[in-house]
Amino acid sequence: MPLSPTFGSLDRMMNNKAKYVFLMPAVVWVLFFTLFPLVYSFGLSLTNYRMGRNPKYIGFDNYAEILGIGEEKPDKKAISTAGFSAFLFLSSTAATLLFGTFVAWVFNHNLPFLRQMRAIITMPLFAAPIALGWLGVVIFNEQAGPINNILQGIGLPRINWFIEPMPARFAVMFTDVWQWTPFVFIIVLAAMQAVPDDLYESARLDTKSNWTLFRMITFPMIAPALGTVMLLRMVESLKIIDIPYSLTRGGPGSVTQTYVYYAYEKGLIGSFQLGEAAALAYLLVIVAIVISSIYFYRVRERFA
Amino acid sequence: MKVKVSILICLAVLLIGVFGASAQDTFFGKTAAELFPIPGVAANELEQTLAFEALLAANVPDGHELGEGKTMTFGVLGQGSRGGISGTIYFWRNAFEAATGASLEIVEIPYNQLGTTIPADFLTGQYTYDAFVGAAWQYGDWISNGWIQPIDQYIGDERFTHWTPEDTAPPFRALLQWGGQTYGTQMDGDAQLFYYRYDVLNDPEWQAAYEAEVGEPMPYPMETWQDLLAITTFFNGKDWNGDGDPDDGISLHLAPGGQGHFHYATLAASFAVTPADGDDPRAVTKYDNVFWFDPDDMTPLINEPGHVLALEFLQELAATGSEAQAGWQLGEAWDNFLGGNAIATFSWGDVGSLSQDEERSTIKGNLGASAILCSSEWYDREIGELVTDTENPNCVGNTTGGSWHPTMSAFTEIPELTYFFMSMIANPSINFYNATTGWQGIDPCCTYQLYQPRGSATSEDYTAVGFNADDMERYINAYGANVYDKPTSVTYLRIPGTLEYIQETLDIRLSEAMTGQSTAQEALDATAEDWLEVTDDLDADSQLEIYQQAIGYGG
Repeated sequence: MPLSPTFGSLDRMMNNKAKYVFLMPAVVWVLFFTLFPLVYSFGLSLTNYRMGRNPKYIGFDNYAEILGIGEEKPDKKAISTAGFSAFLFLSSTAATLLFGTFVAWVFNHNLPFLRQMRAIITMPLFAAPIALGWLGVVIFNEQAGPINNILQGIGLPRINWFIEPMPARFAVMFTDVWQWTPFVFIIVLAAMQAVPDDLYESARLDTKSNWTLFRMITFPMIAPALGTVMLLRMVESLKIIDIPYSLTRGGPGSVTQTYVYYAYEKGLIGSFQLGEAAALAYLLVIVAIVISSIYFYRVRERFA
Repeated sequence: MKVKVSILICLAVLLIGVFGASAQDTFFGKTAAELFPIPGVAANELEQTLAFEALLAANVPDGHELGEGKTMTFGVLGQGSRGGISGTIYFWRNAFEAATGASLEIVEIPYNQLGTTIPADFLTGQYTYDAFVGAAWQYGDWISNGWIQPIDQYIGDERFTHWTPEDTAPPFRALLQWGGQTYGTQMDGDAQLFYYRYDVLNDPEWQAAYEAEVGEPMPYPMETWQDLLAITTFFNGKDWNGDGDPDDGISLHLAPGGQGHFHYATLAASFAVTPADGDDPRAVTKYDNVFWFDPDDMTPLINEPGHVLALEFLQELAATGSEAQAGWQLGEAWDNFLGGNAIATFSWGDVGSLSQDEERSTIKGNLGASAILCSSEWYDREIGELVTDTENPNCVGNTTGGSWHPTMSAFTEIPELTYFFMSMIANPSINFYNATTGWQGIDPCCTYQLYQPRGSATSEDYTAVGFNADDMERYINAYGANVYDKPTSVTYLRIPGTLEYIQETLDIRLSEAMTGQSTAQEALDATAEDWLEVTDDLDADSQLEIYQQAIGYGG
C-alpha cells in the first residue's frame, strides 16, 4: 500500500542522507561555536570563577555587583566604561551614517575617476582596527601629528588629543568613523544606484532642488539599506575594543576605556575574573538583543 | 734588531691567532658569518665580529648530547628580532643550535599580554614553554603556583656555560631568587638612574644665567629631586639647545599602559620609604623599607602622606616638561631626551647605552648620569610625620622594573637543554656584549660591567665597542652607585595580582592625577580602595604571607 503524501515526503527526507551530510557542518558550527559558548559563559557568569582557582556558584551576585542591586555598590568602572560605549554608540553611528551617505550621494553622480576613488575610499574598511589605532597615534600626535599641524596652520590652537578627556574620546570616535564610513558608503551607494533614473527624471519636472529630490526620492528608497547599516553599526560600536586599546590605551586615566575593553581586562588581563567578565559580557548581549529587537519590530511594523 | 722585531711581529700574529677571533675561526663548525649573518641577525660587521669574539670567549661546552634533534620552546617579551629583550634570544639562537644540534623555537609575547599568555598557558595545562623570559615581579605568581623550578642544581655544572650569581650585584641577585633558591639566570638589570645634559649644566654661561634669574647658584650637581625641580623649572621653555624652539626641562612618559608607574615608584621611594635604624639599613620592619603594603596586615600604604607628597611633586615636575608627555609611552620620553630636547630624565639603564647610538641619539659625549636622586622631604611612618631635612636628604635606590631574565618551566621535559641556553646567555662575556648593544634593552647588572672599586670593567671595554669614554665614566659609575651606595632600595611589587594592583589600578589612577582628572590624594585614595578589593579577592591571608616572603619581613 502506498504511503500517504505526508509519510511519503518523510520517507524521502529520511532517505535523502546527503541532505544531513551537507547540513551537519552548519549544525556542528552553531552547536559548538554559538550555543555552547553562550550556555557555558552564562553558567560561568553565575560563579566567582577566577582562572586557577576553584569556582563557586554564586547565583546572580556578579550581576548584582555590576549593577549595584541590593546591598552591593554599583561597579563604578562598569558604569563609566558603559558611558563611553554609549557615547560611541550614538556619536559614531550617527557620524558614519551621515558621512557615508553624503559620500555615497556625491559618488552617485557621474564623476571622473569614480572607480579609482571608490577603491581608495574603501581602503580603511579593510585595515585591522588595531592598525588604524596605531596610525591614529601618529595622526593625533600632539606635537608632530598632521591634524595638529593643520590646525596650527589655519590659526587654530593645537588640541591635546591624548591628554584631555574629551579630545581623547573624540580621537577614538573619529578613528572609528574613519574606518566604518566606507562600509556605509558601499552599501548606501549600491542602494542609490538601484533607484531607477526615471523616478528622478519625472521628479525633475516638479523641482530642481537636489535636496528635495534626495528627501523625497533617494532617502525613502535607501531607507531599508540605511536601517540595516544602522543596526550593524550600532551593534558594532558596542563592541569596540581595538581602537582605544591601540590608540589611547584607555586613557587618559580610563576615560576612553570601552565596556568591552573593561570586560576583557577583567577576564583576560592579569586578574582572570572570568565569572565577572562573563556577567559583564552577558549584560552587553542583553543590550544588543534589545536594540536589535526594537529595530526588527520597527522594520516589521513599517514593511509588513 | 730586525730579528727582534720579526720575532715580536711573529709573536703578535700568533697571539692574535690564538686569542682573537679571525675570519677562519669557527664555533662548532660555524663561522661568524653563518652564526650572525648580515642582515638577518647582525646589523653590521662590527656587531658580527664583537658578538663572535664574545661567543668564543664564553667557552660554550659541547651540548650535542643534551640537544641533538630536540626542540626547545622559549617564550619572551616580544619586541621583534631586533627589539629589546626578545632580540637577545634571536641573536644567540644560531649559536645555541650550533652548540647543541637542537632547534630553538621563539614565541614572542607582547608586553600587555605577559600577564595573560603565560599564566593562561599554565592554568590550562598547555605547558608550551620550556623557559620564558619574564619580569622579576612575576615571581610571586609563578612560584606560588609552582610554574617555575629552581636551578641551583645546575649552577657550576661543567656541562653548561659558566656564569655565577656571585657576579650579579646583590639587589639584582635578590630578584633571581626566592626563599633562598635561585630561579633565574642573569640577563638584564633594571634600576632607574638619573640622566641629564652634562654639557648644558656645566656651561658657566647657563650657570650664571640661572643665578641671575633665580637669585642663587644652580644646585649642581643635583642631589635631590627638589634640586632637579629648580633646574628643570629654569630651563623649561628656554631655547637652550639653540634649535630656535623652546625646549623642555624634564622628559617623562605618563600614558596609561606606557610603564610610567615604574617611574612613579622610583621617584616616590625617597618620599615614602625610610631605611632601618641600626647596622642593617635594608632590614624590613613594620615602618622601614616598606613601600606597597603594611607588612603586618596588607593595608595599602599607597595613600599615605609620603606617596601623596611624591605624586604632588611628580605633578609639579611634569609641569616643567612638554605638556604632551602625559600621553607619551616610554620610547617617546627617551627619544625626547636622546634627541636633545630635554635637560633631564630618569629611567632605566637603556638610556645610557642608547645615548651612544648615533642613529637615535644626538647627545653622545654630553650624557650626564648619577644615581637616582634623594628627597629633602619625606614621610616617616614610625613617627607619623613629614620630615624636612635639606642637609641629610632621604636616599632610596631602586630595582624598579622587569630585570628581564629567563626562568625554567617546572613542566619542561628538557630541563638540561633549557638550562644550557639559559647559562649560555648569562655568561659574562656574552652578557657584557649584550649590554653594550643598546638595542637589546639589556642593562648592566654585574660586577664585570662596573668600574672599580665596585667591579672589574675598564673604560677600554666600553670604548672598544664605540662608546664615549666620558659618558661611560659617568654612566657606569652612576649605575654602580645606584645599586651599591644607597643605604636602601625599593623593588617592584612581587606578589600574585601584581598586574591588577599596578597596571589595572595604580597606573590608571596616576594617569587621572597627571591629567588633572583628580588630585593626588583622590587618585591614591581610590588606588588604596581598589587594592583592598584586589587583596580581598585574592585571599588576604595568602597575599600577606607571600608579600612578607617577597620583601623578607619576619614580623
